[in-house]
Amino acid sequence: MTEHAKPPRAVFVPFMMGHHFGVPFHRDLQRRIILEALDRLIQAEQSGDIHALPVTWAQARREGIAIERELGMRS
Amino acid sequence: MSLQYLTDAVASDDREVLIRYVRLHLGDGDEARGRQEIDKAWIEALKPLLALPPADREFIHDTLATKDPATLAHLFFDLHFYLVKRSGEWIHDGNL
Amino acid sequence: MTATSNDREQLRPGLWATVNDRYPGSMITKSDLVPLAGLEKPLAQSRLTFVSTAGVQPKGTLPFDVAHPVGDYSFRRVSSTAAPADLEIHQLKYPTAGANRDLNVIFPIDRLRELVEEGVIGGLTPDFFSFIGYNMDPERLERTLAEEIAEAVVADGAEAALLAPA
Repeated sequence: MTEHAKPPRAVFVPFMMGHHFGVPFHRDLQRRIILEALDRLIQAEQSGDIHALPVTWAQARREGIAIERELGMRS
Repeated sequence: MSLQYLTDAVASDDREVLIRYVRLHLGDGDEARGRQEIDKAWIEALKPLLALPPADREFIHDTLATKDPATLAHLFFDLHFYLVKRSGEWIHDGNL
Repeated sequence: MTATSNDREQLRPGLWATVNDRYPGSMITKSDLVPLAGLEKPLAQSRLTFVSTAGVQPKGTLPFDVAHPVGDYSFRRVSSTAAPADLEIHQLKYPTAGANRDLNVIFPIDRLRELVEEGVIGGLTPDFFSFIGYNMDPERLERTLAEEIAEAVVADGAEAALLAPA
């Protein structure tokens, strides 16, 4: 989809719809995605560049669950 | 205009194209699911009426008499979503 | 139609084609690229805006029109000082389970404010811009909504923009 829309700079995240900035309460991942996107303002070499974030959805979810356990939100 | 195919379908009375669009909207891109959703809404509309409870018929009559076609058609779509929600089987979770 | 990359694995191969087949002409397609505009100042001195199709809106306001078969072409301003608890989402076409627990997964308003406090971002525009992604007339979308947001973003003094889909 991103390739068809051709935004000048893009970060692609392999995450579920509705979760483009990650998983609940995973502050570090949410920040990282924002910073990767903003970094494209400097790093992107040509219009239409798509930078892939090297994180999988499974990994994000695992980390999110661990964070929620630490916060006492899950048993 | 990018909705030309729908405008053309209205002009040529291509009902299949038009109802397919409605089914896709109601079924989140799945025409077969859209058909089921239409049936579901009507079934849900039937249920509260079986016991013949009092209904605000004056409100209905006034609404139909005074509101414009676009508002009433929009209301028809809103009522669809209201009714399918009542059924407890809500398909609109975003998973295409 | 644009060829997609062969060396990048597509998560949902053929999705664009499928949607375009079911809703002819509804999918935006661009054949040309927007020229890159560089930042005039470092990010730490720049004002950022955020534009989202998640359909986030201030609590208690009229919901975006998710019933209309052709979609909603309006946008809402969402104060960049709003707390997630002041905002809500009435959406049908994407899963909101994550957002309902932590709005930042789709509308990272807390994270953006933190980055300003830390000095990473210079500042935020007074408002962010919110609309929905269900709009089946791309010509109308481009002519009305896209132009209006582009003008508003510039008028509000944005020097950079972060855009996110739902």
